[in-house]
Order: sequence, then structure tokens, then C-alpha cells
Amino acid sequence: MTKVFHSSVKLKITVLVWLGSLVVLGAVLSYSYAQTRRIILAEAKEVALNVTAAAANKVEQDFRAVQKVALNLALTLQSCGTDSNELELLTLLRGAVQKNAEVFGAAAAFEPHAFKADLISFAPYYYKTPNGLAYEQLGSQSYNYFQKDWYHVPKILNKPIWAAPYFDEGGGNILMTTYSVPFYKRNEDQSSEERSTENFRGIVTADVSLAWLNQVVESIPVGQTGYCFIISDTGTFVAHKNPKLVMRESVFSVAEERKSQSWRDVGRAMIREAQGFVDLRDELGDAAYLAYARIPSPGWVVGAVFPKSELLFEVVNLHKATVVMAIGGSLLLLLASLLVARSIAAPLRDMAAATDRIASGDLDIDLSDIKSTDEVGQLAQALTHMAAGLKERDFIRDTFGRYLTKEVVNRLLESKDGLRLGGESRDISMIMSDLRGFTAMTSSMKPEQVITFLNRYLAKMVDILIEFRGTIDEIIGDGILAFFGAPEPLDDHPARAVACAIKMQLAMNEINRINESDGLPHLEMGIAVNTGKVVVGNIGSEKRSKYGAVGSQVNFTGRMESFTVGGQILVSKATYDRLADSLVVNKVLQVEMKGVPGLVELYDVRGIKGSYNLQLPDRYTERVPLEEGIAVQIDLLDQKTVSSVEATGRITSVSPTSAVLIMEHQIRQWDDLRLRLIRDVHQHIQGDVYAKAVEVSKTDQGYRVVVRFTSLSPEVYAIFREATMRGTPERSS
Amino acid sequence: MVKLFALVVCMVLGCGSLFPMYAEAQEKGLRRVSLLPQWIPQAQFAGYMAALEKGFYRDAGIDLELLQGGPGAPPFEMLAAGKATFCTCWLSSAIQERASGKKIVCLAQIIQRSSLMLVARPHIKVPEDLHGKKVGLWAGHFYLQPMMFFRKHGVAVEVVPNYSSEALFLKRGVDAMAAMWYNEYHSILNSGINPDELTVFFLHQSGPNFPEDGLYTIADTYEADPQMCKDFVAASLRGWQWAFEHEEEALDIVLKHANEAHTGSNRPHQRWMLNRMKDLILSPEQTGGMGKLNPKDYKYVGHTLKEHHLIEEIPAFEDFYQGQP
Repeated sequence: MTKVFHSSVKLKITVLVWLGSLVVLGAVLSYSYAQTRRIILAEAKEVALNVTAAAANKVEQDFRAVQKVALNLALTLQSCGTDSNELELLTLLRGAVQKNAEVFGAAAAFEPHAFKADLISFAPYYYKTPNGLAYEQLGSQSYNYFQKDWYHVPKILNKPIWAAPYFDEGGGNILMTTYSVPFYKRNEDQSSEERSTENFRGIVTADVSLAWLNQVVESIPVGQTGYCFIISDTGTFVAHKNPKLVMRESVFSVAEERKSQSWRDVGRAMIREAQGFVDLRDELGDAAYLAYARIPSPGWVVGAVFPKSELLFEVVNLHKATVVMAIGGSLLLLLASLLVARSIAAPLRDMAAATDRIASGDLDIDLSDIKSTDEVGQLAQALTHMAAGLKERDFIRDTFGRYLTKEVVNRLLESKDGLRLGGESRDISMIMSDLRGFTAMTSSMKPEQVITFLNRYLAKMVDILIEFRGTIDEIIGDGILAFFGAPEPLDDHPARAVACAIKMQLAMNEINRINESDGLPHLEMGIAVNTGKVVVGNIGSEKRSKYGAVGSQVNFTGRMESFTVGGQILVSKATYDRLADSLVVNKVLQVEMKGVPGLVELYDVRGIKGSYNLQLPDRYTERVPLEEGIAVQIDLLDQKTVSSVEATGRITSVSPTSAVLIMEHQIRQWDDLRLRLIRDVHQHIQGDVYAKAVEVSKTDQGYRVVVRFTSLSPEVYAIFREATMRGTPERSS
Repeated sequence: MVKLFALVVCMVLGCGSLFPMYAEAQEKGLRRVSLLPQWIPQAQFAGYMAALEKGFYRDAGIDLELLQGGPGAPPFEMLAAGKATFCTCWLSSAIQERASGKKIVCLAQIIQRSSLMLVARPHIKVPEDLHGKKVGLWAGHFYLQPMMFFRKHGVAVEVVPNYSSEALFLKRGVDAMAAMWYNEYHSILNSGINPDELTVFFLHQSGPNFPEDGLYTIADTYEADPQMCKDFVAASLRGWQWAFEHEEEALDIVLKHANEAHTGSNRPHQRWMLNRMKDLILSPEQTGGMGKLNPKDYKYVGHTLKEHHLIEEIPAFEDFYQGQP
């Protein structure tokens, strides 16, 4: 079963914070532990070295005392010379043992015949017993002292030595070590003794009981689990908490039995160096430290073992507690971060849901539950604000369509009155435009072509209207009604309207070029511009409304429009009066309008000066006379539909925009006509021509009608153009 | 008449009361004998200790008493005084003893080659470096082989008597000392000196290579009961074999004997010794089985002794050696 794991802010924050805290705590604790450990062990090292050095020193003092006794005895015996008084000697020995607490026993062992000529061996020995001082003669059948190390070795070496510890069965029977000092015959001049085997007389010994050493060893502070020991100069254990090791094993035999090279190396270091501190594993395998210090005189070594576990006991405990605290703390942190994460995640989820609703069109969102004032709260506020703003914009868009710019919207929104848009009376300028012959032309076109063509035209026109800040009231098919000055107040609305109209006419050229390449007919547009008071406001209901203008001036503008021919801009008197000299007027028309008394003056405008400064190019409408003329069939258009009139005529001269017809049938000025070219009898040339009669006059040949084309099919246009290029132009109006 | 009859009955009964004891002894067939090793209890004699503990002697019908040897118990003297039935001793010493007229016989040669060595401080690199130096040697029979070594290499040394321990050498009283490979050499090592800090000369390599320990008894004992002597040797060898195959157990036995004698030894030292015994007793130089005395070795040692005027004539091999041929 697969579960899609949704990444969650809550999870992220919680896990990251918790992991982060663990890592940090872990690092801190590890560092703290390592450092504390290091410090403790360093301190322990110092203490250990001091402790062992102190112990070694203590032992050394006692050994030195014993040494001194023996050396003094030897000196005395040497200075005695050959005259030897047994009593003196015995008194001396006894005194040495009695007066010196450290000395267990003392002897003076002589070479054969060295004491008395008749004595092969003579070795008086005094020693301490629980019952007091005891005396013995060491030389006997079972105890050949000449062959004992304590006698033989210093004799060969010619210098005092400390013997290896031993169980002395000759006298005492306890673990001892002996300091032996060789003494010699006194030199003749008594200045110095010559230490040589020839002059050798005997050995003075002073014994030290090693039971006392155990006390020293036990007195060294090594904590609860540590222990001390002493080894001889050959590594043999002389004192150890395990009595089985004493005198029987050495550090080296222990190392050998445990197959430990490191122990052997430690042992070697111990008997060679004055002081040392090593990290080792003791018999139990636990890590421990060994500190050692040399007892200089016998070359023995005091060692102290400190198990690390005890040294670090406190530290470990402390850190165990700290670890527990850290884990506890991190759990609290986990909880806290969970709460924080939740306080972020829940609102975010609510906001995501609200945004989804906005996307699907429901702008009524309620995020009032999110009360916090932090960034999350701010986001909620912003989202609510956004939804409100969208609502407003929707309203504006519904009201005004898409054609108001942001500045306009803002300005409207800023003014409280703007949005109410109840009706008000305003002085505005309006333009009305349409394409000549559009409806009739498109009746024979494919639907897709119609739309393509229309939208291309409208797109361009709308762009221009927006550029001039016009408000588009209506687009009905090819006709556009737009006005300037509402809802956005524009002071120069008359000029604006005219300039816009001119620009629109200029744009037709480009449209026609594209149309031609698409095989679409050449079209012309007529525009009417008027200025006056109208009522503007939100027309419609809440459900469907638009911002529009109503009034007689609007109607008037429409009536004007019907008088326009392709490429013409007709401006009303009212507008003209506002602009007067800034307009470039081509001619003035005086027309009759239904319901209006008298003649109405309409101005054919070709340009505007001033800040807009636009001009329509002169239209070369020179007609070219046709020698033979072109026969045409003429149909009268009544309300844009063809009524069947069988009339024929002849085109006598033609230009791209107009032609002269001679025909028998009478038609009136301003009638709309459809012409079909006849070439050869009864054969129509493909393509229709739509035109308006602008001049009608009677001649002997019939009626001379000047028509202005409103729509030319491409084929016909081509024919006319060809004709005009062949012929010579004549001036026309 | 009744009194006489009662007396006779008593006498018969009295005599008869002796029978059970004798019969017992005869029934068990255990012959009571003793062995005196030439030194203190240590793994050098592990085979005999093992044979005793594991009952090999008992199996062979011998009730053995293992005596404690040491410096105060010279083996052949004790044999002569009747204080020991068997003893161990060096071949060279035994030949000298026989040559001086004492009728001792060799029952087996245990250690097949010399374990003597000279241990020296590292400034001695070759035998010639010993010239004029102090060398610690044990007294008595131990002089011969080192002296032959010195003569062979043309060095004259200052001999210093060495008695019991390595102290003289360790304290640098001598530049070199004679040591047994299985004993003193290891003691020196376990005083904290590494092998690479010593120069050693093995006498079995440089010569003279004298076989050492063997089992001996007086001729009378042998002639009285040769089978028993053979059984004794067989059990002893069996003991050695067992000890080599059961090292830890053998060490336990050795240490028990050593501790009873308060020798103050330790396990690793005895282990070293036991392992060296293995090398020496099972030496590849031996021809034939364990415990055999090679006549060539006998002639070699005898010849050397005669050369050095330690003996006048080499005793006949057949008289001397009564062990396995």
C-alpha cells in the first residue's frame, strides 16, 4: 500500500527544529564531555605523578637512612684496620640495629681469615625480633654466605649495591632486602682506600624489612578502585595488593602470561625512567592510568594504578544527567515547535482553501478566524484585501468592460462617487463608426472568415480608442459607439474624439493591406463625431449592466453617421464650434435630416492641429476616363438590402474610390447602390461593388451619377486599378 | 607337651602374621624406589612429576618417591649413600663419575643436546669480542664447555664465579655469563631486557654440544632388578610425552611441586622451561627414539673429557649404558 506523503510545514518545522536541537545539543555535550574528561585526566595525571613521587620519596628516605648506617659501619670497619676487636664490632653492630628504626638487621661478613687468621668465616648478625634483639653467626654448613648475591656481587663490582629482595632463611626468614657495602684494607697512609679485590676484606650489610613497604603502598591515595605496587629494578613485584604476585611474578612475567607486548614495554619504561604516566589496560581489561616514580637508591619503582572509570565517575554521572536533561529539553522543544508549526500550518491551510475558492470565482471568503498580527495574520489580511479588491475589479470590469485603464479604475475607485455611477448629465463628445457595405459583403462569406475579419478590425480600433481614453459604449457588429469625457472627465474631449477618429481612419490602410493579402475585400469606414450633453450612467440591472450614454445627441450622432462615405470623418457643428481653427476641413456638407428643421451643417474633417496634430492624407481621387467604359448592372440598395431593380449603366471614368456612371434610371443623391460589372453580354464579372451616389445630375445621355465606393471586391478593385493606370486621370471632387 | 604345641602354634601364627604384609606387597607388586632430580623442582623435571601424578609409575608397578633436589643434594653422592634409587645428571658428569671408579650406569639419555649458552651485552658481537672480558661461569662441571668455547675462538677471559642468579650480569658486574637456555636466559629476558639487547652464543651450534640430563642408578640396583629399571625409564618417558601433550595440566603439576619447595617461580617461566624441554628432549638431532643415548655422542663427550685430562680412560659404552639400544 503506497501512501502519498504530503510534505507539511508543520512536519518540516518540527522535524528540522528537533533534529537541529539534537545535533546542537549532541555537539555541545560531546565537546563538554571531551573537554571535562581531558581536564579531569590531566589533573589526575598531575595528582598521580605527585602522589607516586611523594611515595617514592618517602621510601627513598628510609632506604637512604639504611644506606647511611651501612656506609658508616663500613667506614668504621675500614678505619679499624687489621686490629679487630670482636666486642667492639659486636657493640657497633648492635648499636646500629638498635638505634635505627629503619634497620631490621645488620651484619659484618668477613672474607676467609680476614677477621681473625684462624677463622674461615666470620659474619656476626644482629636483627630485631618481637622479643628484642637477636644475634646469629651467618656462616654455616647450610648457609654459605660467600656465594650469596649480597656478598658476592658487591665484592665483584667493588661498590655498594642493593640486593634483589629475597626471603632470607639465614636469619629472619622474612622478605627483606639488603644494602651491602664492601669494605677494604686501610691504605698505608690512610688517605684513601683502594677498592680492589686484593684489598677486599668483607661486606657490611643493613637489612630492611619489606613488610613496612606494604604499609607505604597502602597509604598512597589511589581512590576506591585504584591500587599501588612496588617493583624491583628487574621488575619483580616487591609489594602488591595481591600477595601471590610478590616475589614470584614480575611485570614481565605478567606481561608474558597475558601475551601483552604493551605491558612489557610499560615495565621496561618503568625501570628505566625516573617518572612516567601511561594509559593502559589493567588486569581486568578496564582502561586505567599508571603513574610511576623511581626510588633512586635501589632503582625500584613505585607504581599507582588509577582505573579510568573511577576517575571519570563523576564526570560520566554529570554527563549522564546532562544527556537526560538534554533529551528532555529537546522533547520540550519538539512540543513547542509543534505548537508553533501548527499555529502557522492551520491558517495557511485555511488561506489555501480560501484562495482555491477565489480561483473558482467565489470571492466571499472569511478569514476572520486568523486573529494573529504576525506575518501569517498579515497574509490573511492581505488575502482578504485581495479578495475585496478582486470583487471591486470584477464589478468595474462588468460595468465598464475591459476598456478602462488601471489609472482610470484607480481614480474611480478613489472617488467615492465614481462607483455609484448613477446617472448624471455630462457634456461629452461621441463618435460613431461603421464599415461601409460590411453586412452585405459578409453575407456571402464563411463564418470563420467573418469573425477573423471583424476581430482584426475591431482589435485595431479598440486599441486606438483606449489610447485616446475613450469609453466604448457599444460594439454592434462592425459599428462602434464610443465617447470621451465620461466617466473620466477629460477637458479636451472634442479634440480627443476628432483625433481618435482620424487615427482610426489612418489605421484602415493597414487593415486593408492585410485584408488584401488574405483575399478579403477592400473596405472603408465612415466616422461621425458629435459633442453635446447626454446622460451617462450604469444602464441595466445588478446582474447585467454597462456604463453608457443616452440622449438625443446620441441619436443625432447616429443619423450623422449615415451620411458618411468610406474614408470620411464628418464632424457636427457643435464639435466644430469647439475646435474651429484647429480643424482641417475639406468641405462642408449641408444635409436634410428627418425630424430636424432646416439644413444641418456637417464638416468633412481631414486633420487636427494642435497637441494631437494628425492629418489624413489627400486622397488622390482622380478619376481616369475609360474609353470604352464598363457596363454595369445597377441595383438599388434599400436599407442595406438589395431590391430588384433592373438597371444598367456604364462606368465612364473610375478611380480607386469613385466612379462616374451614366444611366437611364433615376436615382437620388445619397442612395446606396450595388454594381455588378458586365463583360460581354450576360456575363458578370465576379465581385460586387457597393457605392453611394454622391452627385446626381441630368445630362443628355441620361443621369450622370458620381458614386463613391464603399466596398470593392478584390477582383473589381484590380480591374479598376488596372484601368486607372492605363488611362489619364481627370480631376474630380 | 601342650605348652610346646601352643608355642609352635604361636610361632606359626606369628610368622603367618608377617605373611599378609609381605603378601600385600607382593600382590600389589609395587616396588618402592626414589628419584632425585639434580636441581630444585621445576619444569626441567616435568616428565617425572607428571608420571608420578598421573600414576604411570604405579601402572608400571613402581611406588616412586620424588625427592627434592637442589644445591645441597649432589645426585651421585646421594645415590652412593643409598638415599636415592635414581637420579638425573649430566652425561659429562656421569662419565667422569664412572671413570673415577664409581659404578653408576646410565638408564636413559633425556636431553639430547646442549642447552648451555653464553649471554652477553650487545657490545660483544662475535665470540672474539670476549677477549679480556669478565665472564660469569658456574663452578665445577660447568667450567668445561665454556672454556672449550673460549679456546676454540682463541679468547682469554677473566672468569668470575657465578653462584645462583643473574644479578651479577644484570648489574653489569660481568660482560657475559653462562646460562641455560631453558632457565637463566628466560630470567634475564623477564628482567626487562629484550632479545635484541643481548648477544647470545649457543654452544650446541658452536660446540661443544654435550647432551645433558640423563637417568642414572648404581650398577647394583640395575643388576638386582633390570626390569624395574626399564619400567622406571618407560614410565618416565611416558610422563614426558604426556607433559608435552598436556601443557597446562603439566604446568599445574610442576607449580604444585615448585610451591611446595618454595622456589618462588611463576607460570610463564615454567612454561618457557617446559617448551624448551620439548625442544631438547625431542631434539631432531637424536637418532632413534626419545631417551636413547647415541654411542657417537658418548664417544664424543668421553673423548673430550679425556683430552682435557678430566678422565684417564673412557669407560666402556656397554658397561655405562644400560638403556634402550
